[in-house]
Amino acid sequence: MHRDLIDILACPVDKAPLALAVEQADGDDVVSGLLTCTACDAAYPIQDSIPNLLPPGYPG
Amino acid sequence: MTTEPQEIRRLVSERYAKDAKAVIELTAVEATSQDDACCAPTGIDRAMTLYEEAQLAGLPAESVAISLGCGNPTALAGLREGERVLDLGSGGGIDCFLAAQQVGGSGHVIGLDMTPDMLALARSNQAKLGLTNVEFVHGEIENIPLPDASVDVVISNCVVCLSPDKDAVFREAFRVLSPGGRLHISDMMALNADGPAQKDVEAWVSCSAGAEPRETYLGRLRSAGFEGVAITEESAHVENDAPADVSGVKVVARKPQETRPR
Repeated sequence: MHRDLIDILACPVDKAPLALAVEQADGDDVVSGLLTCTACDAAYPIQDSIPNLLPPGYPG
Repeated sequence: MTTEPQEIRRLVSERYAKDAKAVIELTAVEATSQDDACCAPTGIDRAMTLYEEAQLAGLPAESVAISLGCGNPTALAGLREGERVLDLGSGGGIDCFLAAQQVGGSGHVIGLDMTPDMLALARSNQAKLGLTNVEFVHGEIENIPLPDASVDVVISNCVVCLSPDKDAVFREAFRVLSPGGRLHISDMMALNADGPAQKDVEAWVSCSAGAEPRETYLGRLRSAGFEGVAITEESAHVENDAPADVSGVKVVARKPQETRPR
């Protein structure tokens, strides 16, 4: 995901803003990292440049 | 039989992952199915009937082959430069790419999908196109991971019918739209008032059991707060292998400029 996408993503549960921790980046593209909800602390991984914002506890 | 929402989501995701893998592994554009999925990828011929030839120019063959939609995306015709677009159930990404071309560099498109293999395919297609104003996000259309009033247009092509909780989908679509924002959906709807007879899980996955009568579907949109809810096109075309009691329908709706408390 582009680094700036953080500005337009929200926690799927409470819709609060997310904080971005970059593990690996390729220019502006965040290849892997972690998005954390600033309200409920739920953590959402970024893998292969795709943020996984399925609600916590989602099966599979 | 009882079909739990989570079970439906799991099966739908598995089913469409199969389609994505079929295309990923297929390099050449060949028809992969006479399959039981609604909107299964029947190859370039079908895609060409759904998408204007001109629009296809420049799009990766894989994204066309994996277009599992039931309508054509002329819903996109109304997109303007600079608009922010959300595609619910973006699949191989074709509608996102078409939208991205229309909104240009000052706009952006977000494709939301719950199937990892589809997302991987969409990313790979995006890389081939070199489009930088599209982002793909792994998530549920019933729990959209975007803030309130953050997009101008929501599009979706034959996906909402797969959801076991359409009210949640429409509620969320309404929430993320900015005031005056538009919803353009192609979807499967039932032709009779009782809905299709098939209620088993396989039928869900193939869209047919999830297809609802028009009035039920449009009523859900109105309950979510949408106004100007209207069917703009109804396709007599029915898949050879799909039940004859569903049809492809295009729906438009908009979020009021001023939202009354509900």
